[in-house]
Amino acid sequence: MKLERQQTPFHELHDILDHALSKSSDKRVGLLTSITGGEIATLLLSPKDGTAELMVTAVENNKYSSFSTHHAQFHWFERALFDFFGIVPEGHPRFKHLLLHDQYAQDFFPLRKIDLPTDFRNALPRRYEFLEVKGEGVYELPVGPIHAGVIEPGHFRFSCFGETIVNLEIRLGWVHRGVEKRLTEVPWQKAHFVAEAAASDTALANAFAHAIAIESILDLEITERAQYLRTIALEIERLAVHIIDVGGIGTDIGLLGISSAMGRLRGKALALADLISGSRFLRGFIFPGGVRPVSERKLSEIKAGVIALKKDLTPVIQMLSDNQMATERMKDIGKLSKSLAAEFGMVGIIGKACGIDCDTRRQFQQGKYPELAPEPSIEIGGDILARTAVRVGEIWSSLKTIETLVDNCPHGEEKVTVPEMLPANATGLGIVEATRGELIHLIFTDEDGKICRYAIKDPSFDNWTAISIAIRDNLIADFPLCNKSMALSYSGNDL
Amino acid sequence: MLKLITYLLQQGVATAKNICPDLAEGVIGLPMLTDAPCQSGCTACVEVCPTDAISVFNIDDANHVRLDLGACIGCGYCVDVCPTGTIKNNPTTRVAVRTREELILTTAGAAAEAANKELVTQGRTAAAKIPTADSLSKASWFGRSVAARVVSTGCSACDMELGAAGNPIFDMERFGVHIVASPRFADALIVTGPVSKGMQEALVSCYGAMSSPRVVIALGTCAISGGVHKGGYAEANGVDNILPVNVYIPGCPPHPWSIIHGILLAMGKEHLALAKKK
Ligand code: SF4
Ligand code: SF4
Repeated sequence: MKLERQQTPFHELHDILDHALSKSSDKRVGLLTSITGGEIATLLLSPKDGTAELMVTAVENNKYSSFSTHHAQFHWFERALFDFFGIVPEGHPRFKHLLLHDQYAQDFFPLRKIDLPTDFRNALPRRYEFLEVKGEGVYELPVGPIHAGVIEPGHFRFSCFGETIVNLEIRLGWVHRGVEKRLTEVPWQKAHFVAEAAASDTALANAFAHAIAIESILDLEITERAQYLRTIALEIERLAVHIIDVGGIGTDIGLLGISSAMGRLRGKALALADLISGSRFLRGFIFPGGVRPVSERKLSEIKAGVIALKKDLTPVIQMLSDNQMATERMKDIGKLSKSLAAEFGMVGIIGKACGIDCDTRRQFQQGKYPELAPEPSIEIGGDILARTAVRVGEIWSSLKTIETLVDNCPHGEEKVTVPEMLPANATGLGIVEATRGELIHLIFTDEDGKICRYAIKDPSFDNWTAISIAIRDNLIADFPLCNKSMALSYSGNDL
Repeated sequence: MLKLITYLLQQGVATAKNICPDLAEGVIGLPMLTDAPCQSGCTACVEVCPTDAISVFNIDDANHVRLDLGACIGCGYCVDVCPTGTIKNNPTTRVAVRTREELILTTAGAAAEAANKELVTQGRTAAAKIPTADSLSKASWFGRSVAARVVSTGCSACDMELGAAGNPIFDMERFGVHIVASPRFADALIVTGPVSKGMQEALVSCYGAMSSPRVVIALGTCAISGGVHKGGYAEANGVDNILPVNVYIPGCPPHPWSIIHGILLAMGKEHLALAKKK
C-alpha cells in the first residue's frame, strides 16, 4: 500500500493516538520508528477497511514525552527507537536498551542520519540492569543466552518464590545483525534476499511483504497467476512451521511419538515447498514483479501432496487432542487475558488464542487475500491449549486453502517487467499474515529514489511481552511448554 | 498411549538407507563450475549475485569465473542467467569441506590460486585474537561418537535443518552424533549464524568451557563468511574471525544431508557418506 507522509505535530498525534487506541475504536498501531532521527513516524492501521495512515512528527531537542505511559503497546518500540536513533522517550516507565548490548559505543546509534544535538549526552548506561524483585526467599534464575537445545539465543531472568515465577524479564538482541541497515545498503533489486534472512522460517512472508511494499511504491500490478502462487507459497510456509510447533508441544509434554511423527510430516510440507520453489525454505521464490516459474505438473503434484498430508496428519493430531493427559497439561497454564493482550497489541497466534480477530489475511491486501481468506481460527482460552488449538485450526485451513488456490490458479506469466528506479520520496507498506502473525515492512525512499529507511516489524516484536505476562504466577517447570506454545522468533525480533 | 504405539509401529522404519543422496530434480543446490568456456565480456552472474560471491576476470584474453561457495547463499540465480552453462546447479549434498580454500572454485585453475588465497583472508577482522586450534592428529578421536553443542547466532533456518537432521528420516544419531545440553561434555561446537557482536562473548566462553580436543563446525553461509550480513556495523562476519574452524558446511541453509556430511567429516567418517547405488 502506498502511503502519504502526513506531517502531524505532537499535540495532534497525542490526541489521534488516544482516540485510535480507545476501547471504542478498532484501530491499532502498526509500528513506531524514525526515518532520519529528526522525527518519529507512527503507522496507524484500520483493520476494518484495510487502510493505513502514516504520521510524521518532527522531534525537537531529540526528545518527546513517552507514549508508553498511556499506551502499553509502545514500550518496546520506544526502547528500539532510542537504540537505533538516540531519540529519548521521556518518562518511559522502563527505559533501557532493547537490542544493542554493552559492546556498542555509548553514543552509537546506527540508523541515525542527522547529527546529534551538540549538548546531547546519552545518560543511559550501556550496562543492562535487570529488574530486581526484593523480598525474603525470592531468588533469581538466569537462563541463556545460549540455551540447552537447538534454538536461538535469548536471556530469561526469572525471579522466583519457591517454584512460582514472580517476574520474568526477557533480554533479547543477541542476534542483532543490522538487517534494517543492510536493506538500505544493497541495490534494491537484491534486497529481497536480505529480507528473507531476517527470520528464515518466515523467509517467504518477509519476501512477500517486501514485494508488496516495493510494488506499491512502483504502482506495479503483478499477474493474477503470481498472486495465486504467492498465496499458495505463504500457506505452505505456515503449514511447515505449525506442524513442527505442534510437534514441539508433543516433545515438551513427553509424547515423543507425536513429535517424531510431526517431524517426519514437516518433511512432507517442506517437500511441497521444494516443489513450488526448489527450496525447502521457499528462498528466492518471491521478488518484486512476480515469482519464479511453476509448471502445471508441479501444481498438480502439490495438490496431491496436500491431500496426502491431510490424511497423514489426521490420526496424529487426533491422538494429541484425544489425549487427556496432554489436555490437562495445557489447560489454564500460561494464560493471557483478552484485555491485556489487546492493551499490549498482541497479534497472530497469541492474539487469536485470546479471542481477538487479528488475522490480517482478512483485513489487508496480500496476494489473493482478503478475497479468498479462510475463516479465522479463534479460541478464547488464552492458555497453552488455546494456542495449540489455533495452530491446529490453521493447519486444516491452510491445507484447504492451498487446494482451492491450486484449483483456481490461472495460466499466464509469472512475472512482469520491473522499472529500474524507485520514485523519490515515496513510502510503501507491505502487510502479510506470517505464521506468527502480522508482519510489516515499511520502506521510505529519499529524493534520489534510494531506499533511505527500511523498517520491519516482526510479529514477535509485539508478542514477546506476552510470555512475561502469561508466565507470571505459574510454576517454573511450566515455562518451557508455555514458551513453546508461543514459539516466538528471536532473529525476527532482533533483526 | 496404546494408540500412539500402534500407530508408530504401523508406520514402520522411515529412516533413509541411502546416505547423502543427490538432490531431487528441480531442487536448487549450490552452484558449480563446468568446463564449458565462459562467454567473453559476460558478467550476467556477477550482476545477479546477492552476496558478491562471484567475480569474473580475464586471463590471456579468456573470461574466467571465481565462485566463493562460502559467500554463496545458493539462490540459483546465477545458474538461471548463465548463457554458456559454465555455472550449473550442483545436485550433490556432500558439500562440506575442511578448509576455507576448498570453497573457492575457479575456472582458471592454478593461474588463479594466489588471488583465491587472498579472498580467504579478506574481510577477517580480528585474526590475531583467534585461539589456535586443538591438535587433532588422531583423526579417529571422535570416530565412534561425537557429542555436539550447538550455538545459534543466525536466522534459525540452519538450526531447523540441524533439527531435521535428527528426525526419523535423516536420523544422524545412528552415526553416533548426539546434541548435548552443555559445553562441558561436548566434543564438537556447531555454530550457526554470522556471530554478530551480541553473541561473540557468549560463543568464546562456550568454546572455553569445552575440554580439548575440540572441533568447531561452521554451519551455513552466515557462519562461514557472514553471508548477507557481512561487513555491517554488527560485525557479523562469520565464525573464523573468532574461533578456529575445522569443518565448513556451505548453504543457506545447508540441506540436512549436507549437515550430516559435515559432521561425518569432523568425525573422520566421511566414507559413510559415499552414496550407495540402490
Ligand atoms: S547461487 Fe550463489 S553464487 Fe549464484 S547468484 Fe546465488 S548467491 Fe550468488
Ligand atoms: S546461513 Fe542462511 S539459513 Fe543459515 S543462519 Fe544465515 S541466513 Fe539463516
